[in-house]
Amino acid sequence: MKFDLEAKTVALALALTVGTAATAQAHTTTDVASGLVSGFLHPITGLDHLVAMVAVGLWGAQLGNPAIWVLPITFPLVMAVGGLLGVAGVELSYVEEIVALSGIALGAAVAIHLRPPLWIAAVLVGVFAIFHGYAHGRELPHAADPLAYGAGFVLATGLLHLCGIAIGLLVQWPFGERAVRACGAAIGCVGFYFLLGALGVKG
Amino acid sequence: MRRLLQLLGLTLLVAGWPASAHAHLVNTRLGDFYGGMLHPLTGVGDILPWLALAVLAAFQTAERARWVVVMFPLALFAGTASTLLWPSLPFVPYAGIALIAIVGLAVAAGIRLPVLVLAGLGVIVALVDGYQNGQAMVPSTDHWLFISGVAMIGYVVMTLVVALTLAFLKGRGGWREIALRAGGSWIAAVGIMALGLQLAMPATS
Repeated sequence: MKFDLEAKTVALALALTVGTAATAQAHTTTDVASGLVSGFLHPITGLDHLVAMVAVGLWGAQLGNPAIWVLPITFPLVMAVGGLLGVAGVELSYVEEIVALSGIALGAAVAIHLRPPLWIAAVLVGVFAIFHGYAHGRELPHAADPLAYGAGFVLATGLLHLCGIAIGLLVQWPFGERAVRACGAAIGCVGFYFLLGALGVKG
Repeated sequence: MRRLLQLLGLTLLVAGWPASAHAHLVNTRLGDFYGGMLHPLTGVGDILPWLALAVLAAFQTAERARWVVVMFPLALFAGTASTLLWPSLPFVPYAGIALIAIVGLAVAAGIRLPVLVLAGLGVIVALVDGYQNGQAMVPSTDHWLFISGVAMIGYVVMTLVVALTLAFLKGRGGWREIALRAGGSWIAAVGIMALGLQLAMPATS
């Protein structure tokens, strides 16, 4: 009986594959794939953005419930709004400086184990998310498939938060707590490096 | 030995299947049915709101979710068929992306909806997505097979995701709904960002 079921499953899968090969190409899947890949790579290829997104996850994990989920939910949503502003061509000042500052502030918050009220943490993360989204929005390539690009972009952002949360869960152990705070300090240093660059101090 | 023969028989069947099956499908044009089934799965524009809607339905009670399971494929059928009457409605792409953001936000907020609102939202999503899928039909497509395929995959996806979400939510730990709501926020963010891109460069999408 089980064998019959397996055979039928294989046969159905084959029939689906054979029957749909040509018609399924009605969607330009190459556009979808390239949109997904370019969107996914976009947040990862900028170190200043990357460390800030990891810091959001780290801070959320350090603050515990409900911050552990409020902050990573807030960031992508508000970032998307910032992205809209960037795409629309709205002028915001000091974007690179504030993006770098976000790394410093979030890294420092993790390093000194800052525990503000949840709404303050959410507002802080939301403000930084606006500028991160705006910076991405201004740099957006002419994506062949905007939806696929957006999906890849948000997925990468969310996964960076999850990376931060996964590292942040180490706080359950004394050594892990120190390691997480060290990560925060390192993120702050990266932010400071980018701030110097944005201010034109470093070569 | 008998099992070995059965396996051998299956192997021969598998090896011999593609050519004959292809010819058969071309002759009967049943491929358009499978084309309709697969079409919504080849882009993120359909599957994202479907997933969000199924999770939103599961957030309500199972009794309410059943209305979406029933209404969704019917409206999907109607939406796909409507392209035969109105082949090019310019606002539909924007509506489709806006719906991704709206349904995603509803999941992120974890809101509880009256059954009429839930079913109505499901019908609107299905009509819009169905219409967008219907636009992929060409004159040589067997329209009714394609439309039936789209409705069928809508029914399958909606039923499976609602059932899986309900089962997932019954597990231990308060994090389960939170994880799904976080997923909803991601879907909403995709919708918001894609809407901006669509408005900024409608010609390329």
